Amino acid sequence: MLRMTLAVIRKDMTLTLLRGNGLVQALLLGLLLIFVFSLSQGVGESLSARSAAAVFWLSSAFCQILMFNQLYALEEVNNSRLGLLLSPAPIQAIWLGKAIAGFVLLLSAQCIFLPATVIFLGKSLSGPPGPSLVILLLTDTGMCALGSLLGALAQGQTAREALLGIVFFPLLTPLLLAGTGIGAQAFDGIDPDGSSAWLGLASAFDAIFLAAGLLLFAFLYAGDE
Amino acid sequence: MLELDRVARFYGHNLVFKDVSCTFAGGSMSLLLGNNGAGKSSLLRIMAGLARPSLGTARFTADSPKIGYLAHATFVYPALTALENLAFWRDVHGLDNTETDLLNVLARADIAGRAHDRAGTFSRGMAQRLNLARILLLAPDILLLDEPGAGLDAKSQALLRKEVLHARGRGACVVLVSHDLARDATLADRILLLEEGRLAYDGLPALFPPLADVEQACYA
Repeated sequence: MLRMTLAVIRKDMTLTLLRGNGLVQALLLGLLLIFVFSLSQGVGESLSARSAAAVFWLSSAFCQILMFNQLYALEEVNNSRLGLLLSPAPIQAIWLGKAIAGFVLLLSAQCIFLPATVIFLGKSLSGPPGPSLVILLLTDTGMCALGSLLGALAQGQTAREALLGIVFFPLLTPLLLAGTGIGAQAFDGIDPDGSSAWLGLASAFDAIFLAAGLLLFAFLYAGDE
Repeated sequence: MLELDRVARFYGHNLVFKDVSCTFAGGSMSLLLGNNGAGKSSLLRIMAGLARPSLGTARFTADSPKIGYLAHATFVYPALTALENLAFWRDVHGLDNTETDLLNVLARADIAGRAHDRAGTFSRGMAQRLNLARILLLAPDILLLDEPGAGLDAKSQALLRKEVLHARGRGACVVLVSHDLARDATLADRILLLEEGRLAYDGLPALFPPLADVEQACYA
Protein backbone atom coordinates (compact mmCIF):
# COMPACT_ATOMS: atom_id res chain seq x y z
CA MET A 1 0.00 0.00 0.00
CA LEU A 2 2.83 2.36 0.94
CA ARG A 3 4.51 1.94 -2.43
CA MET A 4 1.36 2.74 -4.36
CA THR A 5 0.68 5.72 -2.09
CA LEU A 6 4.17 7.05 -2.74
CA ALA A 7 3.78 6.45 -6.49
CA VAL A 8 0.52 8.43 -6.54
CA ILE A 9 2.08 11.28 -4.52
CA ARG A 10 5.17 11.42 -6.74
CA LYS A 11 3.13 11.36 -9.93
CA ASP A 12 0.64 14.00 -8.75
CA MET A 13 3.37 16.31 -7.48
CA THR A 14 5.29 15.96 -10.74
CA LEU A 15 2.23 16.70 -12.83
CA THR A 16 1.04 19.58 -10.65
CA LEU A 17 4.24 21.36 -9.66
CA LEU A 18 6.64 20.59 -12.49
CA ARG A 19 4.30 20.18 -15.45
CA GLY A 20 1.90 23.00 -14.55
CA ASN A 21 -1.28 20.95 -14.28
CA GLY A 22 -3.49 23.19 -12.21
CA LEU A 23 -1.97 24.84 -9.14
CA VAL A 24 -2.00 28.32 -10.67
CA GLN A 25 -5.81 28.55 -10.94
CA ALA A 26 -6.25 27.51 -7.31
CA LEU A 27 -3.64 30.01 -6.16
CA LEU A 28 -5.17 32.85 -8.14
CA LEU A 29 -8.63 32.16 -6.76
CA GLY A 30 -7.32 32.25 -3.18
CA LEU A 31 -5.35 35.44 -3.78
CA LEU A 32 -8.33 37.05 -5.48
CA LEU A 33 -10.49 36.36 -2.42
CA ILE A 34 -7.94 37.96 -0.10
CA PHE A 35 -7.61 40.95 -2.42
CA VAL A 36 -11.39 41.44 -2.72
CA PHE A 37 -11.79 41.35 1.06
CA SER A 38 -9.03 43.95 1.36
CA LEU A 39 -11.25 46.30 -0.69
CA SER A 40 -13.90 46.15 2.03
CA GLN A 41 -11.62 48.18 4.34
CA GLY A 42 -11.93 51.94 4.24
CA VAL A 43 -8.88 54.19 4.38
CA GLY A 44 -7.22 53.78 7.77
CA GLU A 45 -9.54 50.95 8.74
CA SER A 46 -8.46 47.41 9.45
CA LEU A 47 -10.31 44.11 9.52
CA SER A 48 -10.46 42.41 12.89
CA ALA A 49 -7.96 39.62 13.50
CA ARG A 50 -10.80 37.06 13.46
CA SER A 51 -12.07 38.33 10.10
CA ALA A 52 -8.57 38.21 8.63
CA ALA A 53 -8.16 34.63 9.84
CA ALA A 54 -11.56 33.74 8.36
CA VAL A 55 -10.53 35.20 4.98
CA PHE A 56 -7.30 33.20 5.08
CA TRP A 57 -9.17 29.94 5.72
CA LEU A 58 -11.85 30.76 3.16
CA SER A 59 -9.14 31.20 0.53
CA SER A 60 -7.56 27.93 1.62
CA ALA A 61 -10.89 26.10 1.40
CA PHE A 62 -11.70 27.36 -2.12
CA CYS A 63 -8.17 26.59 -3.23
CA GLN A 64 -8.56 23.12 -1.79
CA ILE A 65 -11.69 22.37 -3.80
CA LEU A 66 -9.99 23.28 -7.06
CA MET A 67 -6.90 21.29 -6.14
CA PHE A 68 -8.73 18.07 -5.43
CA ASN A 69 -10.88 18.43 -8.53
CA GLN A 70 -7.64 18.79 -10.46
CA LEU A 71 -5.87 15.91 -8.71
CA TYR A 72 -8.68 13.48 -9.45
CA ALA A 73 -9.17 14.84 -12.98
CA LEU A 74 -5.63 13.64 -13.75
CA GLU A 75 -6.95 10.06 -13.69
CA GLU A 76 -9.82 10.81 -16.06
CA VAL A 77 -7.84 12.05 -19.08
CA ASN A 78 -7.19 8.59 -20.51
CA ASN A 79 -9.24 6.62 -17.98
CA SER A 80 -6.19 5.77 -15.87
CA ARG A 81 -8.58 5.31 -12.94
CA LEU A 82 -9.28 1.80 -14.23
CA GLY A 83 -5.56 1.02 -14.23
CA LEU A 84 -5.27 2.18 -10.62
CA LEU A 85 -8.25 0.08 -9.60
CA LEU A 86 -6.58 -3.02 -11.05
CA SER A 87 -3.64 -2.62 -8.68
CA PRO A 88 -3.27 -5.37 -6.07
CA ALA A 89 -2.75 -2.69 -3.39
CA PRO A 90 -5.72 -1.59 -1.24
CA ILE A 91 -7.77 1.08 -3.00
CA GLN A 92 -7.34 3.38 0.01
CA ALA A 93 -3.77 3.92 -1.19
CA ILE A 94 -5.21 6.19 -3.90
CA TRP A 95 -7.17 8.21 -1.33
CA LEU A 96 -4.14 8.52 0.93
CA GLY A 97 -1.80 9.43 -1.95
CA LYS A 98 -4.14 12.15 -3.20
CA ALA A 99 -4.72 13.45 0.35
CA ILE A 100 -0.98 13.76 1.03
CA ALA A 101 -0.31 15.36 -2.37
CA GLY A 102 -3.17 17.80 -1.66
CA PHE A 103 -1.74 18.50 1.81
CA VAL A 104 1.65 19.47 0.37
CA LEU A 105 0.04 21.60 -2.32
CA LEU A 106 -2.23 23.32 0.20
CA LEU A 107 0.70 24.12 2.47
CA SER A 108 2.55 25.54 -0.56
CA ALA A 109 -0.46 27.70 -1.40
CA GLN A 110 -0.77 28.87 2.21
CA CYS A 111 2.88 29.98 2.12
CA ILE A 112 1.60 32.55 -0.38
CA PHE A 113 -1.82 33.22 1.20
CA LEU A 114 -0.33 34.03 4.62
CA PRO A 115 1.92 36.91 3.51
CA ALA A 116 -0.88 38.06 1.19
CA THR A 117 -3.24 38.23 4.20
CA VAL A 118 -0.64 40.15 6.21
CA ILE A 119 -0.03 42.63 3.38
CA PHE A 120 -3.53 43.14 1.95
CA LEU A 121 -5.47 42.99 5.24
CA GLY A 122 -2.89 44.95 7.23
CA LYS A 123 -2.19 42.34 9.92
CA SER A 124 0.96 41.27 11.67
CA LEU A 125 1.84 37.86 13.04
CA SER A 126 2.25 38.82 16.69
CA GLY A 127 0.71 35.76 18.35
CA PRO A 128 2.50 32.64 19.60
CA PRO A 129 3.69 30.61 16.59
CA GLY A 130 3.43 27.17 18.23
CA PRO A 131 -0.37 26.75 18.53
CA SER A 132 -0.85 28.52 15.17
CA LEU A 133 1.43 26.09 13.39
CA VAL A 134 -0.18 23.09 15.07
CA ILE A 135 -3.70 24.25 14.18
CA LEU A 136 -2.59 24.98 10.62
CA LEU A 137 -1.35 21.41 10.25
CA LEU A 138 -4.38 19.90 12.00
CA THR A 139 -6.88 21.89 9.95
CA ASP A 140 -5.04 21.10 6.73
CA THR A 141 -5.00 17.41 7.63
CA GLY A 142 -8.77 17.34 8.09
CA MET A 143 -9.41 19.41 4.98
CA CYS A 144 -7.26 17.09 2.87
CA ALA A 145 -8.71 13.88 4.30
CA LEU A 146 -12.20 15.15 3.48
CA GLY A 147 -11.17 16.82 0.21
CA SER A 148 -9.63 13.60 -1.10
CA LEU A 149 -12.80 11.70 -0.29
CA LEU A 150 -15.09 14.23 -1.94
CA GLY A 151 -12.70 14.72 -4.87
CA ALA A 152 -13.30 11.06 -5.70
CA LEU A 153 -17.03 11.73 -5.59
CA ALA A 154 -16.63 14.68 -7.91
CA GLN A 155 -14.54 13.09 -10.65
CA GLY A 156 -15.91 13.09 -14.13
CA GLN A 157 -19.39 14.47 -13.81
CA THR A 158 -20.17 18.18 -13.90
CA ALA A 159 -23.21 17.85 -11.64
CA ARG A 160 -21.12 15.94 -9.13
CA GLU A 161 -18.45 18.62 -9.18
CA ALA A 162 -21.08 21.09 -8.10
CA LEU A 163 -21.98 18.68 -5.33
CA LEU A 164 -18.40 18.72 -4.04
CA GLY A 165 -18.58 22.37 -3.09
CA ILE A 166 -22.03 22.03 -1.59
CA VAL A 167 -21.06 19.08 0.56
CA PHE A 168 -17.58 20.32 1.36
CA PHE A 169 -18.32 23.54 3.20
CA PRO A 170 -20.82 22.43 5.86
CA LEU A 171 -18.59 19.49 6.78
CA LEU A 172 -15.60 21.77 7.08
CA THR A 173 -17.29 24.18 9.48
CA PRO A 174 -15.80 22.82 12.73
CA LEU A 175 -12.29 22.80 11.27
CA LEU A 176 -12.69 26.30 9.87
CA LEU A 177 -13.96 27.52 13.26
CA ALA A 178 -10.89 26.08 14.97
CA GLY A 179 -8.59 27.50 12.28
CA THR A 180 -10.22 30.93 12.56
CA GLY A 181 -10.16 30.90 16.37
CA ILE A 182 -6.45 30.21 16.61
CA GLY A 183 -5.69 32.21 13.47
CA ALA A 184 -7.14 35.26 15.22
CA GLN A 185 -4.71 34.70 18.09
CA ALA A 186 -1.86 34.47 15.61
CA PHE A 187 -2.80 37.82 14.09
CA ASP A 188 -3.40 39.88 17.26
CA GLY A 189 -1.66 37.89 19.97
CA ILE A 190 -4.73 37.93 22.23
CA ASP A 191 -5.79 34.59 23.66
CA PRO A 192 -9.28 34.98 25.15
CA ASP A 193 -10.49 31.39 24.80
CA GLY A 194 -7.25 29.47 25.03
CA SER A 195 -6.07 27.25 22.23
CA SER A 196 -6.52 23.81 23.77
CA ALA A 197 -10.26 23.64 23.05
CA TRP A 198 -9.71 24.48 19.37
CA LEU A 199 -6.88 21.97 19.10
CA GLY A 200 -9.10 19.29 20.60
CA LEU A 201 -11.92 20.11 18.20
CA ALA A 202 -9.63 20.01 15.17
CA SER A 203 -8.05 16.73 16.31
CA ALA A 204 -11.44 15.11 16.80
CA PHE A 205 -12.67 16.09 13.33
CA ASP A 206 -9.37 15.00 11.79
CA ALA A 207 -9.92 11.56 13.28
CA ILE A 208 -13.50 11.45 11.96
CA PHE A 209 -12.52 12.51 8.43
CA LEU A 210 -9.54 10.14 8.30
CA ALA A 211 -11.73 7.24 9.39
CA ALA A 212 -14.44 8.23 6.91
CA GLY A 213 -11.88 8.35 4.10
CA LEU A 214 -10.54 4.89 4.89
CA LEU A 215 -14.00 3.37 5.20
CA LEU A 216 -15.93 5.09 2.41
CA PHE A 217 -13.42 5.62 -0.37
CA ALA A 218 -13.83 2.13 -1.85
CA PHE A 219 -17.55 2.80 -2.35
CA LEU A 220 -17.00 6.16 -4.05
CA TYR A 221 -14.13 5.35 -6.38
CA ALA A 222 -15.07 2.50 -8.68
CA GLY A 223 -14.80 1.32 -12.26
CA ASP A 224 -18.55 1.42 -12.89
CA GLU A 225 -19.88 3.99 -15.32
CA MET B 1 -8.78 -19.29 -13.68
CA LEU B 2 -11.95 -17.19 -13.97
CA GLU B 3 -15.50 -18.33 -13.34
CA LEU B 4 -18.78 -16.56 -14.08
CA ASP B 5 -21.92 -17.94 -12.50
CA ARG B 6 -25.31 -16.68 -13.74
CA VAL B 7 -23.98 -13.17 -14.13
CA ALA B 8 -26.48 -10.47 -15.07
CA ARG B 9 -26.08 -6.77 -15.67
CA PHE B 10 -28.76 -4.08 -15.56
CA TYR B 11 -28.42 -0.36 -16.19
CA GLY B 12 -31.33 1.09 -14.24
CA HIS B 13 -34.29 -1.01 -15.34
CA ASN B 14 -32.69 -2.02 -18.65
CA LEU B 15 -31.38 -5.55 -18.88
CA VAL B 16 -28.08 -5.80 -20.76
CA PHE B 17 -27.53 -9.54 -20.29
CA LYS B 18 -28.41 -12.28 -17.82
CA ASP B 19 -27.56 -15.88 -16.96
CA VAL B 20 -24.02 -15.72 -18.30
CA SER B 21 -22.19 -18.74 -16.89
CA CYS B 22 -18.80 -19.92 -18.12
CA THR B 23 -15.26 -20.65 -17.00
CA PHE B 24 -11.99 -19.51 -18.53
CA ALA B 25 -8.83 -21.59 -18.21
CA GLY B 26 -5.19 -20.57 -18.36
CA GLY B 27 -3.49 -20.86 -21.76
CA SER B 28 -6.76 -20.27 -23.60
CA MET B 29 -8.02 -17.48 -25.77
CA SER B 30 -11.71 -16.66 -25.99
CA LEU B 31 -13.26 -14.29 -28.48
CA LEU B 32 -16.25 -12.36 -27.14
CA LEU B 33 -18.63 -11.18 -29.87
CA GLY B 34 -21.84 -9.21 -29.97
CA ASN B 35 -23.51 -6.20 -31.50
CA ASN B 36 -23.09 -2.70 -30.12
CA GLY B 37 -24.80 -2.49 -26.73
CA ALA B 38 -24.82 -6.26 -26.25
CA GLY B 39 -22.78 -5.82 -23.05
CA LYS B 40 -19.36 -7.08 -24.14
CA SER B 41 -17.45 -4.27 -22.43
CA SER B 42 -19.63 -4.50 -19.33
CA LEU B 43 -18.96 -8.23 -19.11
CA LEU B 44 -15.23 -7.65 -19.52
CA ARG B 45 -15.26 -5.07 -16.72
CA ILE B 46 -17.05 -7.54 -14.49
CA MET B 47 -14.39 -10.14 -15.32
CA ALA B 48 -11.67 -7.62 -14.43
CA GLY B 49 -13.32 -6.84 -11.11
CA LEU B 50 -13.85 -3.24 -12.18
CA ALA B 51 -17.64 -3.50 -11.98
CA ARG B 52 -19.97 -5.59 -9.88
CA PRO B 53 -22.53 -7.82 -11.56
CA SER B 54 -26.14 -6.89 -10.83
CA LEU B 55 -26.81 -10.58 -10.18
CA GLY B 56 -24.62 -13.68 -10.04
CA THR B 57 -20.96 -13.97 -9.18
CA ALA B 58 -17.63 -13.58 -10.90
CA ARG B 59 -14.65 -15.09 -9.13
CA PHE B 60 -11.05 -15.97 -9.73
CA THR B 61 -10.19 -19.59 -9.17
CA ALA B 62 -6.47 -18.79 -8.89
CA ASP B 63 -4.99 -16.95 -5.89
CA SER B 64 -4.58 -13.21 -6.50
CA PRO B 65 -4.10 -13.41 -10.26
CA LYS B 66 -2.49 -10.46 -12.04
CA ILE B 67 -5.07 -8.88 -14.30
CA GLY B 68 -4.20 -6.97 -17.44
CA TYR B 69 -6.88 -4.82 -19.04
CA LEU B 70 -6.26 -3.27 -22.43
CA ALA B 71 -9.06 -1.18 -23.88
CA HIS B 72 -9.58 1.73 -26.24
CA ALA B 73 -8.55 4.17 -23.46
CA THR B 74 -4.78 4.17 -23.13
CA PHE B 75 -4.27 4.84 -19.36
CA VAL B 76 -1.47 7.21 -20.38
CA TYR B 77 -0.58 10.43 -18.51
CA PRO B 78 0.17 12.88 -21.34
CA ALA B 79 2.45 15.13 -19.26
CA LEU B 80 4.72 12.25 -18.19
CA THR B 81 7.35 10.70 -20.44
CA ALA B 82 6.89 7.15 -21.70
CA LEU B 83 9.47 5.93 -19.18
CA GLU B 84 7.84 7.83 -16.30
CA ASN B 85 4.45 6.38 -17.26
CA LEU B 86 5.84 2.88 -17.17
CA ALA B 87 7.71 3.48 -13.90
CA PHE B 88 4.47 4.71 -12.35
CA TRP B 89 2.57 1.56 -13.34
CA ARG B 90 5.48 -0.57 -12.10
CA ASP B 91 5.18 1.03 -8.65
CA VAL B 92 1.39 0.83 -8.65
CA HIS B 93 1.59 -2.92 -9.26
CA GLY B 94 4.41 -3.37 -6.74
CA LEU B 95 6.90 -4.72 -9.30
CA ASP B 96 10.68 -4.53 -8.92
CA ASN B 97 11.86 -3.95 -12.48
CA THR B 98 14.89 -1.76 -13.03
CA GLU B 99 15.02 1.13 -15.50
CA THR B 100 16.86 -1.16 -17.91
CA ASP B 101 13.94 -3.60 -17.71
CA LEU B 102 11.54 -0.78 -18.46
CA LEU B 103 13.57 0.28 -21.49
CA ASN B 104 13.59 -3.32 -22.69
CA VAL B 105 9.82 -3.48 -22.40
CA LEU B 106 9.51 -0.21 -24.32
CA ALA B 107 11.79 -1.71 -26.99
CA ARG B 108 9.51 -4.75 -27.17
CA ALA B 109 6.58 -2.40 -27.76
CA ASP B 110 8.68 -0.62 -30.39
CA ILE B 111 8.77 2.80 -28.69
CA ALA B 112 12.17 2.71 -26.99
CA GLY B 113 13.29 5.60 -29.20
CA ARG B 114 10.65 7.83 -27.58
CA ALA B 115 11.25 6.70 -23.99
CA HIS B 116 12.11 10.21 -22.77
CA ASP B 117 9.43 12.04 -24.76
CA ARG B 118 6.19 13.13 -23.15
CA ALA B 119 3.32 10.79 -23.97
CA GLY B 120 1.19 13.80 -24.91
CA THR B 121 3.25 14.13 -28.08
CA PHE B 122 2.43 10.55 -29.13
CA SER B 123 -0.05 9.55 -31.80
CA ARG B 124 -2.98 7.35 -30.78
CA GLY B 125 -1.12 4.27 -32.05
CA MET B 126 2.02 5.09 -30.07
CA ALA B 127 0.02 5.78 -26.93
CA GLN B 128 -1.61 2.39 -27.33
CA ARG B 129 1.85 0.81 -27.72
CA LEU B 130 2.82 2.42 -24.44
CA ASN B 131 -0.34 0.91 -22.99
CA LEU B 132 0.75 -2.44 -24.41
CA ALA B 133 4.16 -1.94 -22.75
CA ARG B 134 2.30 -1.58 -19.44
CA ILE B 135 0.69 -4.96 -20.05
CA LEU B 136 4.00 -6.55 -21.08
CA LEU B 137 5.58 -5.24 -17.87
CA LEU B 138 2.80 -6.70 -15.77
CA ALA B 139 2.82 -10.12 -17.52
CA PRO B 140 -0.77 -10.78 -16.39
CA ASP B 141 -2.33 -14.15 -15.61
CA ILE B 142 -5.63 -12.91 -17.03
CA LEU B 143 -5.51 -10.63 -20.05
CA LEU B 144 -8.73 -8.84 -20.96
CA LEU B 145 -8.74 -6.98 -24.27
CA ASP B 146 -11.58 -4.66 -25.23
CA GLU B 147 -11.15 -3.83 -28.92
CA PRO B 148 -7.53 -2.85 -28.26
CA GLY B 149 -6.67 -2.62 -31.95
CA ALA B 150 -9.18 0.14 -32.75
CA GLY B 151 -7.41 2.92 -34.65
CA LEU B 152 -4.06 1.13 -34.84
CA ASP B 153 -2.05 0.80 -38.06
CA ALA B 154 -1.14 -2.59 -39.53
CA LYS B 155 2.28 -2.67 -37.84
CA SER B 156 0.84 -1.93 -34.39
CA GLN B 157 -1.94 -4.49 -34.95
CA ALA B 158 0.66 -7.12 -35.83
CA LEU B 159 2.67 -6.26 -32.71
CA LEU B 160 -0.43 -6.50 -30.55
CA ARG B 161 -1.39 -9.83 -32.08
CA LYS B 162 2.10 -11.22 -31.54
CA GLU B 163 2.13 -10.21 -27.86
CA VAL B 164 -1.37 -11.57 -27.26
CA LEU B 165 -0.31 -14.93 -28.68
CA HIS B 166 2.82 -14.80 -26.55
CA ALA B 167 0.70 -14.19 -23.44
CA ARG B 168 -1.48 -17.20 -24.25
CA GLY B 169 1.67 -19.23 -24.90
CA ARG B 170 3.02 -18.57 -21.40
CA GLY B 171 -0.28 -19.72 -19.86
CA ALA B 172 -2.33 -16.55 -19.53
CA CYS B 173 -6.09 -16.66 -19.89
CA VAL B 174 -6.96 -14.25 -22.72
CA VAL B 175 -10.42 -12.84 -23.45
CA LEU B 176 -10.70 -10.61 -26.50
CA VAL B 177 -13.65 -8.43 -27.46
CA SER B 178 -13.64 -7.77 -31.17
CA HIS B 179 -15.86 -6.95 -34.11
CA ASP B 180 -13.44 -8.45 -36.63
CA LEU B 181 -14.59 -12.05 -36.66
CA ALA B 182 -12.65 -13.01 -39.80
CA ARG B 183 -9.33 -11.85 -38.35
CA ASP B 184 -9.64 -12.80 -34.70
CA ALA B 185 -11.50 -16.12 -34.95
CA THR B 186 -8.32 -17.68 -36.32
CA LEU B 187 -6.55 -16.82 -33.03
CA ALA B 188 -9.27 -18.00 -30.66
CA ASP B 189 -9.87 -21.43 -29.11
CA ARG B 190 -13.40 -20.50 -28.23
CA ILE B 191 -16.13 -18.05 -29.24
CA LEU B 192 -18.75 -16.49 -27.00
CA LEU B 193 -21.63 -14.55 -28.51
CA LEU B 194 -23.74 -12.13 -26.49
CA GLU B 195 -27.07 -11.63 -28.22
CA GLU B 196 -30.51 -10.53 -27.09
CA GLY B 197 -29.47 -10.29 -23.45
CA ARG B 198 -28.00 -13.77 -23.11
CA LEU B 199 -25.03 -15.91 -24.01
CA ALA B 200 -26.28 -17.19 -27.36
CA TYR B 201 -23.20 -19.22 -28.31
CA ASP B 202 -20.31 -20.67 -26.34
CA GLY B 203 -18.21 -23.14 -28.27
CA LEU B 204 -15.52 -23.88 -30.81
CA PRO B 205 -14.87 -21.39 -33.59
CA ALA B 206 -15.26 -24.09 -36.25
CA LEU B 207 -18.82 -24.76 -35.10
CA PHE B 208 -19.80 -21.11 -34.79
CA PRO B 209 -22.64 -20.76 -37.33
CA PRO B 210 -21.33 -17.74 -39.29
CA LEU B 211 -17.90 -19.37 -39.63
CA ALA B 212 -19.32 -22.85 -40.30
CA ASP B 213 -21.37 -21.36 -43.15
CA VAL B 214 -18.20 -19.84 -44.61
CA GLU B 215 -16.37 -23.17 -44.36
CA GLN B 216 -19.24 -25.05 -45.98
CA ALA B 217 -19.30 -22.50 -48.78
CA CYS B 218 -15.56 -22.99 -49.29
CA TYR B 219 -15.94 -26.78 -49.47
CA ALA B 220 -18.85 -26.43 -51.91
